[in-house]
Amino acid sequence: MEPYQRIHEELTRVGVTLAATLPDDWVGPLIGRLDADPSVIHVPVAREAEAVTICSGAFFGGVRSVAVIGNTGLLTCTGELATLNLRHQIPVFCIVSMRGSIDDHRVYQEIQGRRTIPLLQAYDFPYHVVDRLDEIGCIPNAYEACRLQKRPFILFLTRRLLKGQ
Amino acid sequence: MKTRDAMKVLAAHRGGSLAVCALGMASNEWWAATKSEETFYVHGAMGFAASFALGLALSLPKEHVLLFNADGSLCMNLGCLLTEAGAAPKNLKHFVVDNRVYQTVSAVPMVNRNLSDYVGIARAAGIAKAREIDNVADLERLAPEIMASDGPYFVNLRVEAESAHLAVPPNNYEGAEVKFRFGRAVEKRLGIKVFGPQGY
Repeated sequence: MEPYQRIHEELTRVGVTLAATLPDDWVGPLIGRLDADPSVIHVPVAREAEAVTICSGAFFGGVRSVAVIGNTGLLTCTGELATLNLRHQIPVFCIVSMRGSIDDHRVYQEIQGRRTIPLLQAYDFPYHVVDRLDEIGCIPNAYEACRLQKRPFILFLTRRLLKGQ
Repeated sequence: MKTRDAMKVLAAHRGGSLAVCALGMASNEWWAATKSEETFYVHGAMGFAASFALGLALSLPKEHVLLFNADGSLCMNLGCLLTEAGAAPKNLKHFVVDNRVYQTVSAVPMVNRNLSDYVGIARAAGIAKAREIDNVADLERLAPEIMASDGPYFVNLRVEAESAHLAVPPNNYEGAEVKFRFGRAVEKRLGIKVFGPQGY
């Protein structure tokens, strides 16, 4: 089974019905699956901060949502995540490609690989790394942790999970 | 047109709408006119109250949502107009309080203020219903039609720049209390669950 299918299944199990997305090539197939799901309102955005703030607004409509973005985009919206989501204690569940890992040989992803985790720790944004297919079942717990902690939660997907060896 | 007068007119015509206010003087004036807790007063993420309002509107398609944006905020996230046009929420009205200055920082002039045309930008982004209103009489006359129309509807409220910083105080609660007051107000009015059984 493809990882994208398993992730989609778990998001359905959690009750996600809105996805705001901006593609990175690793998460593109997941976005395609969400777009094809008639039970999901898919909102393509022009900038990642739109995705996390759209999900934040949807929280108040009682709708469960997910922002699907790349690691570079996550770095661009940390200010909004801090000043909206930390300020008002609004949970937002983000699925993010973990770019810049040792097996990601794109030179323009290198900084993201070295600095993203320390940045999340500085903001006290919880995160969890999914590296294998059999770990995707953590999504319901991760989603609940996001709501309970009332802040951004980053679920990282690795290259090994999404692209294979 | 003064911001206060525009907010008073829209408050009188808001019906049962939910509202989202970007941080700034328009938010303060909306609070002064309504004391509404069915409004989310965004205290950060400048530029992205528009996206927050879009998410709210998409999640509650049967409810009317009013967004009070500002020109400085709009310019920080012009892409919101593309996303709004693409999502095409029938229940969203996007008001921009356009005073051509960053009022809360001593009325510093807005970037490119003599040439920019926000209505033109909104139309070019794909929002067909877009107009400017620059006086109270027109706003009074057009407000019922705007409120009754399908969205997305973009209205640029051309108002006077005012220099008195915080002459009208903001809502007297902040942070997590904004979340809980608004969320509980939505739950009460609509009979939906925003928060879980343990309150988060």
